[in-house]
Amino acid sequence: MMSKTRGAAALALGLGLALAVGGCAGGSSGGGGGSSNGQVTLTLWQVSTTGPGQQYFLDAAKAYHAMHPNVTIKVQTIQNEDLDGKLQTALNSNSAPDIFLQRGGGKMQAMINAGELQTLDLSSADKTNVGSAALASVTVGGQVYAMPVDTQPEGIYYSKTLFQQAGITATPTTIAELETDVAKLKTLNVAPIAVGAKDAWPAAHWYYNFALRECSQSAMASAAKSLTFTDPCWNKAANDLAAFLKVSPFEKGFLTTSSQQGAGSSAGMLANHKAAMELMGSWDPGVIASLTPNQQPLPDLGWFPFPAVAGGQGDPSALMGGNDAYSLSKNAPKEAFGFLEFMLTKDQQEAYAKALQAIPVNQQAQSVVTEPYNISALQAFNKASYSMQYLDTQFGQNVGNAMNTSVVNLMAGTGSAADIVSQTIAAAAKG
Amino acid sequence: MSATTAEPWSPGARRKARGGGRRRRENPFVYFIALVFIAVCIAPVLYIVIGGFRTNSQITSSPAGLPHPWVVANYTGILTSVTFWGELANSAVVAFASTLGIVVLGLMVSFVIARYDFKFKGAMYSLFAAGLMFPLVIAITPLYIVIKDLGLVDNLGGVIIPQIGFGLPTTVIILVPFLRAIPKEIEEAAAIDGTSRLGFFFRMVVPLSLPGVVTVGILAFIGSWNNYVLPLYVLNSQANFTLPLGVQAFSSQYSQDTAKVLAFTSLAMLPALVFFSVFQKRIVGGLTGAVKG
Amino acid sequence: MSDTLGTDTAPGRQSQGTTRVGDAAQAGSPTPPRAAARRRGRARMRFEIALLSGPAILMFTAFVIFPVALAAYYGFYRWQGYGPATDWVGLNNYRLIFTDPAFQQVLKHNLLIAVLSLVIQGPLAIGLALLLNRKMRGRAVIRVLIFVPYVISEVIVGTGWSLMLQVNGAVNDVLAHLGLGSLQSDWLADPKLAIWTLMAIISWKYIGFAVILMLAGLQSIPDEVFEAAAIDGASFWQMQRRITLPLLGPTIRIWGFLSIIGSLQLFDLVYIIWGQYISGTAGTSTMAIYMVSQGRDAGNYGYGNAVAVVMFLISLIVALIYQRLILRRDLRGAVTEGAS
Repeated sequence: MMSKTRGAAALALGLGLALAVGGCAGGSSGGGGGSSNGQVTLTLWQVSTTGPGQQYFLDAAKAYHAMHPNVTIKVQTIQNEDLDGKLQTALNSNSAPDIFLQRGGGKMQAMINAGELQTLDLSSADKTNVGSAALASVTVGGQVYAMPVDTQPEGIYYSKTLFQQAGITATPTTIAELETDVAKLKTLNVAPIAVGAKDAWPAAHWYYNFALRECSQSAMASAAKSLTFTDPCWNKAANDLAAFLKVSPFEKGFLTTSSQQGAGSSAGMLANHKAAMELMGSWDPGVIASLTPNQQPLPDLGWFPFPAVAGGQGDPSALMGGNDAYSLSKNAPKEAFGFLEFMLTKDQQEAYAKALQAIPVNQQAQSVVTEPYNISALQAFNKASYSMQYLDTQFGQNVGNAMNTSVVNLMAGTGSAADIVSQTIAAAAKG
Repeated sequence: MSATTAEPWSPGARRKARGGGRRRRENPFVYFIALVFIAVCIAPVLYIVIGGFRTNSQITSSPAGLPHPWVVANYTGILTSVTFWGELANSAVVAFASTLGIVVLGLMVSFVIARYDFKFKGAMYSLFAAGLMFPLVIAITPLYIVIKDLGLVDNLGGVIIPQIGFGLPTTVIILVPFLRAIPKEIEEAAAIDGTSRLGFFFRMVVPLSLPGVVTVGILAFIGSWNNYVLPLYVLNSQANFTLPLGVQAFSSQYSQDTAKVLAFTSLAMLPALVFFSVFQKRIVGGLTGAVKG
Repeated sequence: MSDTLGTDTAPGRQSQGTTRVGDAAQAGSPTPPRAAARRRGRARMRFEIALLSGPAILMFTAFVIFPVALAAYYGFYRWQGYGPATDWVGLNNYRLIFTDPAFQQVLKHNLLIAVLSLVIQGPLAIGLALLLNRKMRGRAVIRVLIFVPYVISEVIVGTGWSLMLQVNGAVNDVLAHLGLGSLQSDWLADPKLAIWTLMAIISWKYIGFAVILMLAGLQSIPDEVFEAAAIDGASFWQMQRRITLPLLGPTIRIWGFLSIIGSLQLFDLVYIIWGQYISGTAGTSTMAIYMVSQGRDAGNYGYGNAVAVVMFLISLIVALIYQRLILRRDLRGAVTEGAS
């Protein structure tokens, strides 16, 4: 009896203690703006986990609070790879954050179909700030569903130092030239190209760009609409990638290399001169900067667009690209929109550009873009005849994931080029 | 060896043959094997713990080396972080509540199955036994929909309540024979004294079944503490994370700092190890008893 | 677990006992008609049964049984998880599952993992148990220490091991120090090696549990049997083969059952180490990984539910076959006939 009452007491004590501590730390579930006596609390989900990028959002929240003392913004940092899953769970269980990073494309379409997003009512000042190109990417059926904050043309970031050491005098403009450069770089004992295949999408971006070169704009647009991939250009792109893989351009162990996490990631390899090139969107310099030994931007970083593919039906000036945009969940208070407008102002955009090494969408703020790689990217973006959303965003999570995984399989030698198209088509039937 | 087999009666032969007995001089070979086995089991754990005492640059330059110097910053940093203690508390709340629910509900229903005679007794038992075929991992997809519709997403209750349900099959399977083994005489004596069946349950069965209950409770606690897939689906905001989720989130967020991740991992291991060392006799004994019947 | 091996004490007397209690409770009062008393007793019994078993049955039905039915229901739809399911596709999801090369691959992986777990851990556990089953000093400590990996969560095991198995991690470093530098490999990424790495980690985690089970089984073998055999001149190996292994049979069969069921459900370890995308490429994906990556991670909740149903059926069939064929001797129908 004694031991039983002792045991019970211990249990009760432990439970009580746990509840007490838990009450301090647990509590507020997920998102959903809280509002009481004029005080509004907003939750914001963003993906810059380190350094100046994360700091930008904290500063912006503070600045906005100073301007509107009744609005408090809680910034939550989510690892990029976890965002889509968590967002989905949060959205379809009514615990969505008020403001969150929006990928766009098919992923946004799924959210729109489920009625999870607020339509945004942009003033003419807002529209000028955003610019028509970026606005087009977040408009569906005449309604705007997200506020773009930057422009992310994709290209190949490279180390000018390593190129020099390898005796490469000009950046490659064709795939053949790229393969030659890969061979030259191998003599340096660095990885010619880094790819973070563990996250699947960085590997898949190689396929997207080959597809961009092989497929005409109309072919890509119709595939996005109907999710059928009957145009032979898709298979041609897969074969191009398979041929390119034959020169072994990537680092050893690319299968377990992540893209952004740590010095061993593909971005980290570039930051530490262990790799010479990486195909990425323009968020990459920011990530690289946080992974260099001194956590400063990489001084010898350069950028060139994805090379041309002979015989392709796509325009060689076309760019893969997207925008980082921020959407509001359907229950977000109206103050959340105020914060979006705030982010678009010239000062905030300049701070954003500096902190994340990105190209702000607000053209007035683009004067702070001084880094050579961003200037190259911006010029190429302005010259591009058209740009396409990243295909996994464009096609939505289901098809996008399948496409990404099949590209990784091709790279690892466990799948064929033809599998890319067949797996993608098969996935469309599952969802 | 030949010497001992020549004399089958000798204590030496018997002991060598079956292993056991009051031997004084143990075979060093056996100790060696045991030592190797233990080393293999413990070395990775030690690596994780000791790794937390190094800095990341130490690990990069000498992955398998010892700390030089010993750095406590990683551990102190985590021990002073609200995140870690919050996740620990969440895990504790979930584990205690689940265990309580599993034990109480499991004991009650096992008592019914074990000591009442009614038409659906067999069906009830098979119901719970069939639950072994549909464990949490397989059930998570539709279970998540149920939890979502109940509005329990991102809520510790959304983890506790399903865990209680899924902890019942093992509990029933273990407790029913236990309760059945309580002699009839005790029940009859209680009845003669005028105690109702319910009274018999509360006053006599519960104390008598304590060993089985403790075994079941420990299994439930460990199962809840280490559960990953259910919190992965249900818990969304960092403040509600349990420790396994916290480990994964931390290792993702600080993936560039291997030493920090090792420190967090070893601290996350600690509660389970402490719990185990306190109850190890019960756990190992309980398993032994379960096997021996 | 225990019921499958344990002996039933006095199964027959139970039914007698309950009615006798009912009668005894009525014995002292002035006699109402016997039938009415029995009706009251039975109603009382039904009330107690409902009271005691109700909560458990409710919890279990709502959160375990009901999801099974729900999975079966949603498995017939194409459904993204938002709002009600409206796109009926009948058995199409199931057709897609069985024709998907990725699913065939994970089936193979699960089969491989199940078989390898039995083959690697079984003999090793028996051998180690035989070795450790003697009154040696520190026996208790040994048991505790080898059980440690089992107690740690798979998440922690996965996190720790994946850090150690990196290309420039501790394992490769130790190999270099031991002069075995040529054995350094990409343990996690090489599609030819990854499955073996996974098996090594699984074995590391669960061998202690197997040894403890085997030790318990060994202890229930009486010494006299060995003594008699020794008198008859049996050698050590003869005794193991003729006495130990057969008497250890029930334990081995139960452990085998637990091992197989566990292998079919493997998820945490693989998800933590290889993530949701590349476990297939690395050759370590399992059915549960397939279910999560094709279901939740891809937003295909209808398809994911269909996969859950398939997994459930596979587990059920394997369990039933195993019980009928292998456990029949030990069980006396514990699951199928249950509480008789």
